[in-house]
Amino acid sequence: MTETAPALSMRGISKSFPGIRALTDVDLEVGVGEVHAIVGENGAGKSTLMKILAGVYQPTEGTIELQGEAVRISGPIDARKRGIGMVYQELNLVPDLSVAENITLGAPPSKFGLVDRKALRARAQEVLTELGARVQPDDLVGSLPVSQQQLVEIAKAYASNPRIIVLDEPTSSLSENEAQALFRVIERMKAAGIAIIYISHRLREVIELADRVTVLRDGRLVESRSAEGITAGDMIRLMVGRELTDVFPKREVPIGDVVLKVEGLTRPGTFEDVDLEVRAGEIVGLAGFVGAGRTEVARAIFGLDRAASGTVTVDGAPVEATSPRKGVDAGIAYVPEDRKRDGLVPQLTVKDNVTLAVPGDIARLGWIRRGVERKLASEKATELGVSPPVIDRRVDTYSGGNQQKVVFAKWLATQPRVLILDEPTRGVDVGAKSDIHRIIGELAAQGTAILMISSELPEVLAVSDRIYVLHEGRVSAELPRGASEQDVMQAATGEVAA
Amino acid sequence: MTINIETVSTDRVVKQGFLSRYGTTLAMPLGILMLLVVGAFLSDRFLTIGNLTNVLINMSIVGIIVVGMTFVFVSRGMADLSVPATVAVGGILVLMLDDVIGTWPAALVGVLIAAIAGVVNGLLIGYAGLNPVITTLASGTIVLGIAQAFVGGVIVYGQDPGAKEFLTGRLFGVVPVIVLIFLIVALLGHLALSRSVFGRWTYAVGSNPHATEASAVPVRLVKAGAFVMTATLAGFSGVLLGISLQAARPAIGAGYEFDAITAVVVGGVSLLGGSGSIPRAIGGLLFVQLLTNILVLQGVPSEPQGMVKGALIAGAVALDVYLRRRGGRE
Repeated sequence: MTETAPALSMRGISKSFPGIRALTDVDLEVGVGEVHAIVGENGAGKSTLMKILAGVYQPTEGTIELQGEAVRISGPIDARKRGIGMVYQELNLVPDLSVAENITLGAPPSKFGLVDRKALRARAQEVLTELGARVQPDDLVGSLPVSQQQLVEIAKAYASNPRIIVLDEPTSSLSENEAQALFRVIERMKAAGIAIIYISHRLREVIELADRVTVLRDGRLVESRSAEGITAGDMIRLMVGRELTDVFPKREVPIGDVVLKVEGLTRPGTFEDVDLEVRAGEIVGLAGFVGAGRTEVARAIFGLDRAASGTVTVDGAPVEATSPRKGVDAGIAYVPEDRKRDGLVPQLTVKDNVTLAVPGDIARLGWIRRGVERKLASEKATELGVSPPVIDRRVDTYSGGNQQKVVFAKWLATQPRVLILDEPTRGVDVGAKSDIHRIIGELAAQGTAILMISSELPEVLAVSDRIYVLHEGRVSAELPRGASEQDVMQAATGEVAA
Repeated sequence: MTINIETVSTDRVVKQGFLSRYGTTLAMPLGILMLLVVGAFLSDRFLTIGNLTNVLINMSIVGIIVVGMTFVFVSRGMADLSVPATVAVGGILVLMLDDVIGTWPAALVGVLIAAIAGVVNGLLIGYAGLNPVITTLASGTIVLGIAQAFVGGVIVYGQDPGAKEFLTGRLFGVVPVIVLIFLIVALLGHLALSRSVFGRWTYAVGSNPHATEASAVPVRLVKAGAFVMTATLAGFSGVLLGISLQAARPAIGAGYEFDAITAVVVGGVSLLGGSGSIPRAIGGLLFVQLLTNILVLQGVPSEPQGMVKGALIAGAVALDVYLRRRGGRE
C-alpha cells in the first residue's frame, strides 16, 4: 500500500477564521517525485493551505494523509519530523553563520554534546553536491546574493530528508538565469523522489516545471489537472472566472487636469522606469501581484522611501520626494498598506492621531491650541463616520474598520491633492468597507486625484477609471475602464498578448 | 473638504477593564498616601513641616533630571546613562569659571557644554541609530574622563558664597529656592510634554516610530531632542549642585542616573515608550524619597535601602509588563 500511495493527500480541507472562510472543501494530492504547482490570485487560499500542511494552522475540517497514513500535524516541528520541508518566500537564515551551519541548523551533528564541526561541514557539502548547488559551505550566508541564499534555504529543508518540499514563490526575487539554477535543483530533488509543491505567480515557470497544476480561487478548488499542454491563458481563466458577488458603487465625476505625474521612477531591482499620471477626480488603480512593486512605488512617490531616479510632479510643480514631510507639503497623502505598522500610533487618542500630520494647523509657535485641535479632530472623525466619535479615546480600543477611518481622517486633514491608497479595505468588515468606498468616491467628486492599490481585483475593476498593471517592477499595461479581470491577470503575470 | 457619510458599519469599541484603565492612574497617589500614614505611625519626626521640606529639598536636584529622563523614556529612548558626566560638567565648570566671568555666566557655560554632550548623544542615537544605553554609557565615560583630566582629579572649590546663600535660602523665609526652581522646571517640562507639538511627537515616536515617520514627523529629531533635553537639565542640576555645595569633583554626579531611572520607572512610565507623564515620574520620585526618608528615620543602614530600591524597580517594571498584557497588546 505505502509503495503506491501518494506522498500527500489532503481531502476536504476547510479553514475558517473568525468572520472569514479562508478555505472550503479543498483537495490536494501530490505523487512521489511529482512537481505540483498551485496557482491562484492573491488571497485565493494558497498560503492558508500550505500553513495547514506546515502545522501552523489546524484545519477546521478535512483529513491529511502522508504516504497513505492519516496524520494530524500538530505544529511546525511535527511537520518537519513527518518529512515536510517548507521554503517560504521570506528567507529564514541566520546571516552571521556559514552556509554549512545554516544548512544543519535544525540538527547539527554532535559529539559528546558539542557540535562536530567536521561532520557538520561534510554533511552540508554532501547536501549541496546532491542538489548540484554551487555554493561554498564556508561562506557567510549574509555575504551571499539572494539567489544563493535561496539555494541555501532549500538545502536546509533538504538536509532533514523530507518527503515533501513546499516552495512558496521561490523565484519572486530571482532573475531568469538565477531561476534556471533553481530549476536544476528542483529537478534533482524530483529525481530523488521528493514530492514538490510549487507556488508561483510566474505561469511560464509552472508550464516549464510542473507535472500537475491545481488552481484555487476564493478558497475553493477550481481544477486540478495534468500540466501537459496547459497554457497560461487556461490558468488565468481558471484563476479569475468568478461571478461578481460584491457590488462596488462607482460615482461618475468629471475628470480634470493631470494632478500627479510620475516619470521614469526607478529603484534598480525593485521598480523600473515607472510612468503614471492621475487626473483630478480620477481614481486610478494600481494592480499586480504582491511583490510586483506596487507598495514600493507608492512609498517612493510619497517620499517614505527614496527612488534612485525619476520625477514626481503635483499640479505641474516638481516634488522633491525625499521625506514624507515634503510629500505632505506637496499635497500628497498616503494611506499605508500595513495599518498597524505605518498607519496608527496605538497609544495615542483618536484626536492625536487625526492631527498628527498637520502640526501647523493646530499649533502656534510649537504650542498646541487645544480648542482648535479638538474642533479639527471632531470634524474629521464625524465626517468619516468613526463610531463612536469619541476623540479622547485611545485609537487601539477601536475596531479595524474604525481605525482605518482614523487613518483616512489623518490624511484628509492635510487636504491632499493626491491621495494614494494602499489596500484601503484590507482587514475591515463589510460595513466599513462600503463606507470607505463611499469616502473614496466622495473625495474624487471633490477633485482629489486618487491612486489606489488593491489586491482585490473586483474592487480595482469596479472603482477605477483607469488601471495600471505592474509586473516585476514595471508597468506592463495601462487598461481603460471596462477591462476584464482576465486582461489584468494577463498583464500581472507578464503574459501580455503582443 | 467635507464628506458626509451615513455609517453602516456596526463596529463596536473594545471594552477596557477597570484595572488597566484606572489602576495605573490611582496607584501612585494611593501609594504615597500609604507611605505618609505608615511613616507617621513609625516616627514622630516624619510628618513634620521640617522633615517633609527636607525631603523636597533632597529631591529637587535629581527631580530636574527626572524631567529630562521622562522624555527619554516616553520617546522609547530607553535611558540616558551619561547623566553623571553631564552633572559633573555643570558642577565643575560653574565653580572653575565663577571667579573669571561671574557665577551666572559660568552657570550658562556649564549648561551649554552639557547640552553639547547631549547633542552628540542625540546625533548618535537619533540620527545614527545607535543603541541609547551603550551610546550614553560610552559618551558618559568619555566626558567624565575629559572632566577628570581637566581638573586633575582634585576638588574644585567655589568663590561665590553669595550665590550659595541665594540657592539654599528660602523665598519669603518659607519656600526653599531650590525647590521652587525644581517646581518651575517640572511645570515647564510637563507643559512641553503635554501641550506642545514636540511633546505630542515624543509620545508618537515612542508608541510607533514607523507610523509617526509616515505621518511626516521628524522622528530622528524628536529622538535626539529627548537626549539633548536630558543632558541640558542634568548640566543645570550640576550647576545648582556645584553652587549649593561650593565644591565639586568629577564623581559629583555618580548615582543620579540610577535615582532618576528609579523614579521614572516607579512612577509607572513605561520603558517601552509611548506613555507616562512628568507628574507620574515625579510621583515616583516622591514615593522613593519618602520611602528612603522613612528607612533613614528608622535607622536602616544604606545597604538594605539599596535592596529596597532595586526591588521597587523590578516590581514596577513587572507591573508595567503585566498591565500592557492585560491591555491586550503584544
